Amino acid sequence: MTFLLSLAWKNLSRYRKRTVITAAALAVGLGLYLFMDAWLMGAETESERNLVWYETSSARILHEDYWDERDRLPLKYCIEDPGAVMAKLGEERIPSAPRTVFSAELVLRKDPFPEDGSLPVRVVALDPELDDGVFRLGETVEEGRRLRPGEEGILIGQWLARDLGAEVGYSLTMITRTRRGYYQTIDAEIVGILNCPNPAVNKGTAFIPLDTADRYLDMEGAVTEINLKFPERRDPDALAAEVESGLVPDFPGLRVKSWRDLAQDYLAFASMKKSATNVILLLVFVIAAVGVSNTMLMAINERTRELGMMRALGMKDSRITLAFLLEAGGIGLIGSVLGVAFGTALSYWIVTRGVDISGLIGDMDIGYRVQGIFRGAWNPGAMVTAFFFGIVLTVFIGFLSTRRALKRSITECLYR
Amino acid sequence: MKRILIRVVIAFIVPPSVFAVSAEDVVRRLEKNTVFETSRVEGSMVINDRFGRKESTFISYGRGTDDMLVEFTSVEEEGMKILRTSDELYLFFPEAEELIRMQGTALKESVIGSDMSYEDMTGGKGLLSSYRADLKGMEDVDGFSCYRVELEAKKDDVPYYRQTMWIDREIFIYRRVHKYSRSGKLLKIVEIEEIREVSGRHVPVRMKLVDSIKGNSSTYFTVTDIEIDIPLDSVLFSLEELTW
Amino acid sequence: MKLWRIAARNIGRNKKRSFLSLSAIAVAVMGIVFFSGYLKGMTGDLVRNVKTFYSGDIRVQHEDYERYGYLNPLHLRIEDFESLTAGIERDESVALTSPRITFPAAVYREEETFKATGLGVDFGRETGFQNLEDYIVEGRMPEAGKNEALVGVGLAREIGVGTGDKVTVMTTTMRRGTNAVTFRITGVVRFPLPVLNKTRILVPLDRAQRLLRMGPSVSEILVKLKEGASPAGTAARLKEGLGEDVLAFKTWDEGSVSYGYIKMATAVYNFSALFFFLLASSVIVNTTMMVVFERVREIGTIGALGMTRGQIVRLFLFEALYLGIIGSAAGAVLGIGIVVPLSITGIDLSNALQGVDMEISGRIYPALNPVLTIFAFFYAIGISGLTSLIPSGRAARIEPVEALRSL
Repeated sequence: MTFLLSLAWKNLSRYRKRTVITAAALAVGLGLYLFMDAWLMGAETESERNLVWYETSSARILHEDYWDERDRLPLKYCIEDPGAVMAKLGEERIPSAPRTVFSAELVLRKDPFPEDGSLPVRVVALDPELDDGVFRLGETVEEGRRLRPGEEGILIGQWLARDLGAEVGYSLTMITRTRRGYYQTIDAEIVGILNCPNPAVNKGTAFIPLDTADRYLDMEGAVTEINLKFPERRDPDALAAEVESGLVPDFPGLRVKSWRDLAQDYLAFASMKKSATNVILLLVFVIAAVGVSNTMLMAINERTRELGMMRALGMKDSRITLAFLLEAGGIGLIGSVLGVAFGTALSYWIVTRGVDISGLIGDMDIGYRVQGIFRGAWNPGAMVTAFFFGIVLTVFIGFLSTRRALKRSITECLYR
Repeated sequence: MKRILIRVVIAFIVPPSVFAVSAEDVVRRLEKNTVFETSRVEGSMVINDRFGRKESTFISYGRGTDDMLVEFTSVEEEGMKILRTSDELYLFFPEAEELIRMQGTALKESVIGSDMSYEDMTGGKGLLSSYRADLKGMEDVDGFSCYRVELEAKKDDVPYYRQTMWIDREIFIYRRVHKYSRSGKLLKIVEIEEIREVSGRHVPVRMKLVDSIKGNSSTYFTVTDIEIDIPLDSVLFSLEELTW
Repeated sequence: MKLWRIAARNIGRNKKRSFLSLSAIAVAVMGIVFFSGYLKGMTGDLVRNVKTFYSGDIRVQHEDYERYGYLNPLHLRIEDFESLTAGIERDESVALTSPRITFPAAVYREEETFKATGLGVDFGRETGFQNLEDYIVEGRMPEAGKNEALVGVGLAREIGVGTGDKVTVMTTTMRRGTNAVTFRITGVVRFPLPVLNKTRILVPLDRAQRLLRMGPSVSEILVKLKEGASPAGTAARLKEGLGEDVLAFKTWDEGSVSYGYIKMATAVYNFSALFFFLLASSVIVNTTMMVVFERVREIGTIGALGMTRGQIVRLFLFEALYLGIIGSAAGAVLGIGIVVPLSITGIDLSNALQGVDMEISGRIYPALNPVLTIFAFFYAIGISGLTSLIPSGRAARIEPVEALRSL
């Protein structure tokens, strides 16, 4: 066995160019496959992320009666002691962020706005310090700055700002109701404008600090929801159920809804379907496989003489096969390792830094700026699959051609 | 002249607390004057907002503090009816096969686009059960001497946390009301522009409602005809009558 | 002896190797053709959805309507829409029109209220415009003049109603009054876009006009053009011929939020196409390089026989070009042969996720991209040729003796 292994190794280094080219073919193919997979997975999860990062979070803790009335955003069904709940969650290492959500009418006056107007909006009161542990709104602020605790400041989406003709520094009044039902007004100044990929946030939501809402709405420390962040790959429904059963002993009146439950209410414009992207990935796979196999077949073709020689020297067919398989496997191993490394490097670029495709979008005068940074998503499963597939493919091809060569007579082999 | 002079002197010299009347008394008398056992009112509502002017006419029947039936007679609202009983509010539309019950947040909506909401139409529990009243002195409104009463909510069953009412000291009808949000911002202004005497009772016949925050929105109520304490069939305030 | 003839003979001599290189090139080109066609089909799907359900090819509205859109300004309407519609339909580029009224509505049933978007349409026209019949999953279309309605499947589920049930639709009328009318649901519809299924309730146009007290007017007219007609040109022409000053004729990509999404989706796809191209190129590069490297001994031989370096390089270049041309042509033909039939039948991707109504269109229709196909054809040939230069040049530089020695 060791003999065969060292034979394989020697051959690999002897036919360096062949090894390099074939391994490179495999590496490039696998690498690009992984990259495309990460990119398309990013697209696929884009709508999911749009919700989870900016609207629903992974799961939400609500008062048990809130859910049936959630369309009306009732303040009366709230969580009285969010601190205690969040402490419990902290024990389980689940990041959480409290929010109070209510409906209000934004009233603007002609000066400084272009004209008088009023508009119903959804207002989300968030904790500027804790919210970023669960949501990613903080990084979407484009103009002005983020909210500060306790201030009468408001953040609005870029589309809403455009609709209203609003700019940072303008003041407006919100008309709403307190928890007890009194009409309430909040005079606030626009401190920032955000632009995030979620249209509902951009168009119809305004944000104020949680403690400001607490003060104005007589919440007395209560909030309407606590949002949770789960790791991206885990099943949100299962985790939500787990959290709920964990909370119920101490906090019997609470329910936990995963983003899938919440998503029913959030209207997605278009989502890339899994099967649509699968077609693309299949194509990539096929092309990469063709490239690798053709290269390998060419390489092995040339070695028929060598094979004949080995047979002539008395080596058993099975050992010859094994020798060539080991060599093929060696190429596959090198190629797979390089390919996965290459793919990971490329994926890293698009997953963490993302790609600003607004440049590709070009001149778009629709008034609404669409968020231009697009991110990929890690898919460790694909990496593992690709790695093994690379080796399997090369070994398989090696096997096929070796078998073919072995079927011929020795003299035929030598003749080549 | 002499009378006016005496009045002015009294107003300046005599502090308000010397008056035998308390805030609660004023409010009680106000409510007694503004509530009729039965009534039939024909009137109009003129709404001004950023899109223009709209006039709607109606006939409304009232009984006590709780029951009211409004039938719109103008073309634009043709056939629409609103029925209010002690704690419920229903809408009737000629082409709807069921009555629409307005409750919860739906009550916050405005009545046919005016500055009055359905919630403003509910109530009838009496101001003193929900508000604490404070008499802040006397003030002139349109030349009429009025008690200025500050109301602050003590229960959370009313939409306005604070109201200021200027109640005419002679006839005990309010001439102006300011309604405030919880944080004290002025939300709505009600001004009575004309009060007439009908069957020995004083009735506001022209009222203006202004949304003080939105600025460009106001509603005028005008009473063109009113009959008080007439016999009214009880069935008028029933759901069956509404669907008829 | 002519080099190009030698090259041709060389190719025929080692059929297996040639076939491998050729097939790799063919697959690469075919892949590019199919991939670009597929992408075009995906974006085409998005565009079609926007045009069918939101904006048409051209959208006719009161010029101020969009500005005050969030207030639902029904009074900024199109009066005398009948003659306007007739005039639009007379235009040679116009296929269909859809006069309609969109209004926010509250659907009331048994003391519960549900938010919805009401759409008053001419059902006779909508059958053609939206292919409405294809989407009806239950019941039938409402008839004009009757208080009948079509409800999106998601909305129906939420309210808990089906065909035959009655609901009351309450809304703000044009003059900001309130009105409510009871409708009987005659059918349930499943659109390709989930958002529509959750919010839309469709009623006959005349009933919507009555509910909203708008008289014979509409809030917009959508126009569908014939294949190949230019939206911008037609819009301008219609505006000039028919439009009163107060009407705006907007093409589907003007000022539409959905268009932004399409652009973004296109950019996302195009970015991946770039890398796909890279992959296809690498396949060609690999096989071509392999071809040359395998023949180092051959190069040594002919070098020893007197061929100059330049000639050797040119020889291999010709071989690569021949293989490139044949492979590219085969690939292009194959690619076209796959895309064109699929562009007619479509690829059926509808496998609904368990219990969740998250389907987008079930079928994608790839569309042939002629420009890209031709480009890919020449590109593959070019890459093949260029790639051959490196190894052949390198190999030719080695002394013939060395070359002969290597296995």
